[in-house]
Amino acid sequence: MERMDCVPIDQMESVNIDRDLLAEFEAAARRPLDVRMRYAFIHTYKPVLDDARFRAFGTMADYRKWCQDNLPEWLGYGRV
Amino acid sequence: MAAFDYRQAAEVRDVFQRHGVRYLFIGKSGAILLGFPDTTQDADLFVEKTPENGRSVVTALRELGFALSDSEASEIERGKDFVQLRNGPFDLDLIFAPDGIEGFGAAWGRHLEVEGFPVCHLDDIIASKAATNRQKDRESLPRLQAFRQYWLAKRRT
Repeated sequence: MERMDCVPIDQMESVNIDRDLLAEFEAAARRPLDVRMRYAFIHTYKPVLDDARFRAFGTMADYRKWCQDNLPEWLGYGRV
Repeated sequence: MAAFDYRQAAEVRDVFQRHGVRYLFIGKSGAILLGFPDTTQDADLFVEKTPENGRSVVTALRELGFALSDSEASEIERGKDFVQLRNGPFDLDLIFAPDGIEGFGAAWGRHLEVEGFPVCHLDDIIASKAATNRQKDRESLPRLQAFRQYWLAKRRT
């Protein structure tokens, strides 16, 4: 197992990341985990997907096929 | 239903630990634990697929408030590849065989711990998302890969 260490941005090696994204990553790194989670986890109703209290699929292929066949395309669960 | 939050994640961590469940946070929820700033709707757990671990998961989930019937519990214990739970205090997906990762043992060997939360390595999270080849994952991958570059650089220094 590895452990995470945080260091200031000015001590980092140069990284080739879009400036706005880098600022976003840095801002997130300054927030405590509970705040990051509050910003990150949202709950909205997803049609079909949220309409059953329990689903189990024998294989991931079964699950992917079910998503492809049953979920609205705009949810983005279909394979490209 | 309210969104998954830190308190609930901590309950998962503590109850799973008490029952000796072998699992890892994976997917975008795992990336968020590693510092990735983005949004997601549910927590994804990569669970080791063994009968003993399956029984421990069921016990832990019931303690957390998931209303599992005996037949549902049996499906988890048998280690179906994917289980979607919408019958508890928060939405949870159990993944026993994520695409793009060779097995739980390998992922466990690379995993990280964040405030006691066991989390897949970011490379495994990205590999899994890339292997699913879903529209929503394809859209999130460039941002996730940029975060990987930042995250690795930050860990090196």
